[in-house]
Formats: sequence, C-alpha cells, structure tokens
Amino acid sequence: MRKGLINHCRFPIAGFRFKIGIRKLKIENLILCLLVLCLPAAAAETGQKLLGDESDGSRAHPIHRIELLAEPGEQGGEPVKIDPNIDPEEEVLLPFSTRQTCGECHSYGIIKKGWHFNSVDPNAGSGRPGQPWIYVDAKTGTQIPLSYRSWPGTFKPGQFGLSDREFTKIFGRQTPGGGAGETDDEVEVMRQYVSGKLEINCLSCHNGDPRHDQGGTTGYAVQISRGNFRWATAASSGLAAVTGSANDMDEMYDPFDPFSVESAQSGKNKPPAITYHKNVFDHDNSVFFNIVREVPSHRCYFCHSNLYMGAEETEKWSEDEDIHLKAGLTCVDCHRNGIDHNIVRGYASEEDESSNELAAASSCEGCHLGEHSASEPTAGRLSAPVPEHRGIPLVHFERLTCTACHSGPWPADEPHFTKTSMAHRLGTPNVNKAREMLPHIVSPVFAKQADGKIAPHKLVWPAFWGVLKDDSVTPIELGTVTKVIADVLSKEKFPFSGDWPEMTADHIVKGLSGLGGSVEGQAVYVSGGRLYSLDDSGQLSEQKNHPAAKPYLWPIGHDVRPAAQSLGIRYCTDCHGTKAPFFFGDVNVDTPVVAARESKKMIEFQDISPSYTWAFAFSFVFRPWMKMVVLGSCAVMAFVLLLYALKALACVVKTLAGEN
Amino acid sequence: MFQTISIVAFLVTIGALALNCIISPCKECWRHPLRKVVQLVTMLFIEQKLSPVGVLRKLVYLLALLCFVVLAFTGFYPTLVLGEHISGYLVMVHATFAPVFAICLAVLAVMWARSSRFTGSDWPWFQRLVQRVTLIKSPGKEVDRESSGLGLKISFWLIIFLALPLALSIILSMFPLLGTHWQELLLGIHGYTALLFSLAAIVHIYLMIRCKTNE
Repeated sequence: MRKGLINHCRFPIAGFRFKIGIRKLKIENLILCLLVLCLPAAAAETGQKLLGDESDGSRAHPIHRIELLAEPGEQGGEPVKIDPNIDPEEEVLLPFSTRQTCGECHSYGIIKKGWHFNSVDPNAGSGRPGQPWIYVDAKTGTQIPLSYRSWPGTFKPGQFGLSDREFTKIFGRQTPGGGAGETDDEVEVMRQYVSGKLEINCLSCHNGDPRHDQGGTTGYAVQISRGNFRWATAASSGLAAVTGSANDMDEMYDPFDPFSVESAQSGKNKPPAITYHKNVFDHDNSVFFNIVREVPSHRCYFCHSNLYMGAEETEKWSEDEDIHLKAGLTCVDCHRNGIDHNIVRGYASEEDESSNELAAASSCEGCHLGEHSASEPTAGRLSAPVPEHRGIPLVHFERLTCTACHSGPWPADEPHFTKTSMAHRLGTPNVNKAREMLPHIVSPVFAKQADGKIAPHKLVWPAFWGVLKDDSVTPIELGTVTKVIADVLSKEKFPFSGDWPEMTADHIVKGLSGLGGSVEGQAVYVSGGRLYSLDDSGQLSEQKNHPAAKPYLWPIGHDVRPAAQSLGIRYCTDCHGTKAPFFFGDVNVDTPVVAARESKKMIEFQDISPSYTWAFAFSFVFRPWMKMVVLGSCAVMAFVLLLYALKALACVVKTLAGEN
Repeated sequence: MFQTISIVAFLVTIGALALNCIISPCKECWRHPLRKVVQLVTMLFIEQKLSPVGVLRKLVYLLALLCFVVLAFTGFYPTLVLGEHISGYLVMVHATFAPVFAICLAVLAVMWARSSRFTGSDWPWFQRLVQRVTLIKSPGKEVDRESSGLGLKISFWLIIFLALPLALSIILSMFPLLGTHWQELLLGIHGYTALLFSLAAIVHIYLMIRCKTNE
C-alpha cells in the first residue's frame, strides 16, 4: 500500500456508509476497499450512477470535505492520495486530478460529454454557430476563425496546422479544460506525458473560494501557456502554488520520477512543481472545497466577457450589465444543465437539437411567453414579465429575434469594436488594452441567420493564406505561413496597438509567390471579403464575394437591455429611418490590405432590398399624416352614420307613436 | 382558414351575381351593347351633372373605385394566391392608397348619404326581400322589378359601416396602445372586415351597373 493512502474512507454504497480503519484492515476489508476504489470506473462503464450524479432532493449547500487524489504515473494505476508531508526524495508531490478527485463521486465520463467539453467529439451536435477561437498574427496578416465544431465559416485547428496540444496552449486559457486538452496526442506522446492532459477544471466554474485564480500571474491561464496542463487546475484552486514550466523541460523529463524532478530543479529552467498551502489540509489530509452548485456569474465572465469600444473611452463602471443579472438572476438560472453538463445555450430552436429538457423553456420566449407545447402554464418563470409589445406589428416577431431589439449595445452608425475574453484573453496578465488590438471583432451587426430571422451578431473578417482547390479554400499550415510571410512583412512597422500592418498589393504578390512553391495547388490570400491570387502572368487578381472570404458572424444574446431601452421604444424610425444604423449602418471591412478598406451597409447582411428598405423607411415621414387622415375620415363616416341612424330612429319613434 | 373562407366567399358572391344575371337578365344591356360597353369602361354610367358637385361626386367615385381595386389586389393577392402575409412593395402600395380610399369614402358618405336614405318606397322591396329569404308570402301588390334602389342603399350603408372597423383596426394597431394579443385580433378584424367590405363593394358595383344601364 502506498504511503499515506486512505486513512479513513467513507464510501456510500446503496445507502450504507462504510467507515474503514486502515490499521485494522482485514483481508476482506482490503478487498472491499479495492473494489470500492474501482467503483467509479466500473460505474462509468456500466452506466451506474455515482453518489454525486443524482441529487437526493436537498436544496442545502453540499459540503465537499474530501481527499485529494492525483493521477497515477502509470496508465491504469491507482490514484495517488495527496499527502503534503511526503519525502520529496522518495516521491513527487503531484497536483490533484479532477478526474480522480471529483470523479470519485461524479461521473467524469458523463460530464465530459457536456457542451463546454465536447467540441472535439465528432458525434456532438454543433447547434447554432457560436463564437470561434480566432488565431491572430499581425506579422503574417492572419486572423482566422477556428473551431472543432462544424460551424460554416470556421476551420478546424488541424487544417491550420495546430495540433490539439498547440491549440490548448494558445486557447486553453479560457476553457474549463477537457476537449482538445484531453485528447491523446499521437505525435507528441512524450511531450504530452511531460505536460499532462488538461483535464476538466471543475473548479473553473464551481469553486466558491475567493482565492480561485483563473487569470492571475500564476493562475490557470498562465499555467496552460507554460504547458503545465497537469498542474493548471491545482494552480487555479487556491489550494496550492505552481512554479516552473513544462515547456522548458525536454521530452525525456519524467514528472513522476523524483530523481528526474530533482535533477531538473537544479537546472536553469525549473520544472513544474506544486506546493500545497499546508493550512488547507485537515488532520486526516482531507481538504475543504468550497464547491457551489449554482455557478456564480463572475466565473462565467472569465470566458464570456464582452467589451464594446465606443467612440469614447469605455470603462467597466460606465456600462450596465445584463438586465437579468441586475434583476437578481445569475447566468445559470437560464443556462442550466444536469450532471451531463449539456448546458442550455438559450436560443429559440435549441429544443430541436438539444436533449436538455429545459431547452425550450429557457429561451427568451420560454420564460417570457411560456412554452407553447407545455401542458401547464410556463410563462413568467423566474418572475419574467410577460411582454406586451404595444404597437409592434406582428411581422416583427416573424422576422426578428428577441435579441434584435433587446440585446447588445444600441446600434451606432458604425458597429463597435468589440473585445471578448476568448478572443482578446481578457482577464489574463499583460493584455494589450488598445482599441485596435487584433482580432477585430465588431458588433452589433444585424444579419439574417439560418432560420431567416434578423439577429444582432458579432462579426470578424477572416484573413489568411490558403490553397485554392476545386473552388474551396483551405488555410495553409501556420508553420509554412510564418516561415514565408514573416520575411515578406519583416520590414513593415507593426503598431504597438496590435493593429494590422499596412499591407500592399506588392506584399501579397511576394507572399503568394513565396508560398506558391511550398504548397500543392494555387496559393491565395483571403482578406477583407476578397480572395487574392496570381494569374498565369503573375499579376495579382482579386475576387470579391468568394465564399471563403465571407465574414464569420455569430449571434449575440447579451447584454440584454431593459424594455425601455429596446429598439423601437421611441418610434418606428429607431430602425425604419433612412439613416437608421439597423439597416444603413456602415460595417467596415477589416483587412490589413490598405487599398481594400471599405465599408458595407448593414442591410447587405440581411438579404433584403436596400431600395425597398429605404423607400419603406422614407414612408414613415408620412406615417403620422396617414394616421391623421384615416382617423379624420373615420370620424366623418362615423358622424354620417350616427346622423342617419338617429334620423332613422326618429322615424321609427314617430311611426311607433302613430304620428306617421 | 382565412384563405379558404375568402376564396369560398368570393366564388359564392360572384357565382350568385352571375346567376342573377342569367335568371334576371338586364334587357337594357343588350339594347345598345357597344354603348353600354363604352359606358362601363369609362364609368359613364354615373349620372352626368355639370355642376362642380356632380363632377366631384363622379371623380371621387372613380378614385374610390381605383383605390378599391388596388387595395383589394395588394391585400388579397399575397394572402389568397401566395398564401403569405402582405409584405414588400405591396405593403407600401397598400398603405399609400389606403388613406386616399378613406378620404374618398368619407366624401362619398357625405355626398351620397342623403340620396341613399331608406324611404317609404323601399318598404315593399324590403317586404319582398323578407319574403324571398323567409319564403313566407304576404298579401300585397307586386312591385316593379326594375326600379329597385334598395340593394344599392343597403350595400352603400354596409360599405360605410364596414369602412370604420376596416380602417380603425389597422390604424389603432399603429399606435402603442395594444399588445400582441390585441394586435393579432385587430389584424384578424382587418382581414375579415376587408373580406366583407369587398363583397359589399362588388355587389354595390354590380347593382350600380345594372341600375345605371337601365336608366
């Protein structure tokens, strides 16, 4: 038995609690204990529920005073119980593993199928297009939306030459782990052994400890960038401090071997090492986790913050939050999930794609208007007011999403530069706070979505070097691009703001010529809605409206504004004005190519006729007159009717009185 | 539902008028066919009066007729033929002609109301109408078949009466007064009132043609 293994273990099985003292173990008890240790794995395989998979109905706050378990050094080995007092010459102090620690009572295999972790699962539904990961490199003129999900307009990281490990190193900072961080790397097996897998960080969402460190200088995001995947969760937990970097270790480094670790520590580059805060351990080496079932909104914000850069300085204190939060709700009041972590995304047709039984009830309509298919009244959930929409013609509900009028910033002549946590790594150290920092996302852009309704979107124009084959474009691998294009643009000035360099046609010609020899097929450059290529004579040609050059848009749901700040609250001309941003706002085409910088009208994203829309908007000038004329005419007709009705009545009265 | 009801109603009305034409043919119509066709085309069947009021009456009636045709087409074509709500340029045309039509109706209401009053001479016709509907015979002399103005009067007052809910239902929905449920109701009222109005207008035009060609 490993030193320090279970002193006291409490395993509830079928309603019984077994308390076993190791010192008094008999052979039967030893076998029983081993069986119990294997239970989580066996349960996951057989579909048997673990202790924490199903609530007993109590609404009380669950207490998690548990032992920390680390992953074993060998595959299939037993989990290692964390003992902060081990002899470092004999054993390596390991970071705790959520798969082992939390997985003791919660089926990890079920949880990892949840929305936040299943992007790499080809069988998982993609649902409505969402925010992609955007790889940005100003030095190569690259701004490319990536996603493991099959969202049209995005590319798989593998297509761009990013392995799962590299992807995780770049973007894992704003994930709760799992997904690409947990796949088996068949190429860099040893490297993955050194850095470990990025397991699901349950604490990213469920840790109520104020010391939780997701974006601090030694927190979760930084550990991931250092390649310390195995240590990232522990570093964020507030229970331990992590130093060193797995990136600095060579592939032969063995993080489970005390000798290897000790040798590395004496070198210049320090290996990843963990130091648990000793005051967090109880007398029996169990630890109190302040686990919260209802995730606080500020945990969500680490990955889901938005910053809308208006014309004036934008500061957090000057902006209101979503009206729902101000009304006392939290994110997870609407975005709910069970043990399967199949969280409700909250869009209207989600119930057709999601197995979450609350999907229909948790959309805007579900809460505010009620679920049409429900057998019981469901409107007004969570005190949601039932909207009256006074004076709003019904056609608006057929052609607009709720968010069109109620969500995002109030539309301006030009959409706002928008920063998001996922794209601009907000909340992590050394963020470039400049307005022009890439990637250039703008919002709100009112565009028609797949269901035919107009919704506010965030928009990014892809810019990348690719290969054209059969009229489809695939991005050239990052390594190749960096090698060739970095030289082409090496003499250009790169703004400190993180903005694009000023690219010219000459740069593109040189880049395409350089890449031509490195790739199979025709090298192209996609940027600003155009596809650049070299014709047979070596001249630069450009094609507009190529599908690969289309902007990538994803609908936005938040922040929801109150009804008194919704579009149309003042008058119809909030949208139906001849200069109203809703239809006629200028969406700048973002590109490093200076000559191609232009703007498009918002209406070009809505698939409706600009001339008709303008004429219709212009007709609202006469709308008040029309109302007055019709009301006046009605008054005249009503008066005539009344007059002759009274005359008729007079006749009847006279006749009945015998006068006539 | 509305689509089906509307199509049936239009077919029944037009069928009934055609049947009426066959059962009770207009003799005068065949006496000077070319002249009558010209009258119909140019709408000269409206009484000719050289006074400014007469000209106004005529112009307003013609304008109202034009507006009615445009409004009926733009309103019913998308619903009955395409099976969808009115939208696009049709809405704009509809909304442009609607206030003109409302003004015309108001003017016609003022100008035609007196001549469209029900009088004692309409009583026998009313009795005949009741008899035909209820199939109950009552003693009394037969009235002249070709001198009826009752149908015209009834259809006129029906048109003026229906014009109110027709116009108000859509105008009220443009004010921020009524919520979604009421908006649905108002739209329904507008649709069904428009249907009844159109049927009344068709009958009115038919009777007007018969009446004027017989004069």
